[in-house]
Amino acid sequence: MGIIKKLPVYAEKVPGGGIVTTSLEMVLNQARARSLWYLLFGTACCAIELMCTGASRYDFDRLGMIFRATPRQSDVILTAGTITTKMAPRLRRLYDQMSEPRYVIAMGGCTINGGPFYYDSYSVEKGIDHIIPVDIHIPGCPPRPESLLEGCLHLQEKIKKEKLSDWQEK
Amino acid sequence: MTKEQLQTAITEKLGDKMTLLDTGRHDLMYEVKRENLLEVCKTLKDDESLAFDYYLNSHGVDTKEKFEVVYNLASIIHKTRIDFKVILPYDSAEIESVQTIWPGANWFEREMWELYGINVLNHDNLTRFLLADDWDKGFPMRKDWDAPGFIRMPEL
Repeated sequence: MGIIKKLPVYAEKVPGGGIVTTSLEMVLNQARARSLWYLLFGTACCAIELMCTGASRYDFDRLGMIFRATPRQSDVILTAGTITTKMAPRLRRLYDQMSEPRYVIAMGGCTINGGPFYYDSYSVEKGIDHIIPVDIHIPGCPPRPESLLEGCLHLQEKIKKEKLSDWQEK
Repeated sequence: MTKEQLQTAITEKLGDKMTLLDTGRHDLMYEVKRENLLEVCKTLKDDESLAFDYYLNSHGVDTKEKFEVVYNLASIIHKTRIDFKVILPYDSAEIESVQTIWPGANWFEREMWELYGINVLNHDNLTRFLLADDWDKGFPMRKDWDAPGFIRMPEL
C-alpha cells in the first residue's frame, strides 16, 4: 500500500479492508502519461539530440519513454528534424497508422516554421502544423536535451488533465 | 605529375579543343565547346598520359545569361585533377551524356536535368529522383524560379 501513501489526493483506502477507491480517469491518465512510447522520426540534426536524450546521461527511460520503430506500438510521434515536401505525405501516413489516442511533439525550428530553411527553400515544409496536429512545440536549433525533457513533461501534464468524455468525442 | 606537366600534356593532346580559363589555386579550369564534349572526354579518359579514370563530380551553374556545366575529374594513376566547363545558351540547354565514358555520371546528370532543366541527350534513365513525386513547379535551382509559398530572403 505504499502507493496509497504517495497519492493521498487521488486514491483513498477503505478502512479495514484491502480496497482502494479512485477514479478510472485518474488511473488511466496516470498510466498513459507515464508510458509514452514514441515513434522515432529523426530526419535531421535534432535526431542527434534525441539520441543524446535517450542515452544514459539524460535517460529518457525514466519518464517511461521508450522508442518504437513502428507506428502501431507508439503513443506519440517525435518529429525531430526537417520535413521536406517529399517527406510530408509519408509523415501523414505514419501518423494515420498510429492508434488513438495519439500525440505529436514537434522538435526544433524546422518543424515549427521551417527554421533556417524558411527563406530561399523550394523543398522544406514551413512547419508541420498543416500536415498533422501538433501538441507540443519545442523551439531550438536543435533544442538541448533539457528542452526536450521539459516538452515531454508538458505533454504528460496535458495527458493528466484529459477527461474521459474527451476521449469519446475523439 | 605536376600541374605544369599536366598543362603541357593537355596542350599537346587537346590544345585545339580545350581553352585554358584559369590556372587556379588547385586545379586547372578549361572550357570545352559543346560539340567537342564527347571527343574530349574520350581522349581524357583513354589517353595514357592523361588517364582521367575517376569522375568526381559535375554540376550545373545558372549565371542568369547562360548555363554552365562543370565537370571535375581525377586521375588515380597520375594523382592529378582537372576541371572543365561547357557553356550552354539559355534557350537551348542541351548537352550530351557522358555516362558511356564514366558510368558514374548517371545520377549527376539526372540531378542536373531535374533541378536546372538542362536536357541530357542519350541518357538511359532520365527520371525524377530528388523532388517530390508530384512535382510540377519547374526547375527550382534556376535563378528566375518562383512558386507559391516560396519566400525569398529580404534584402538587408
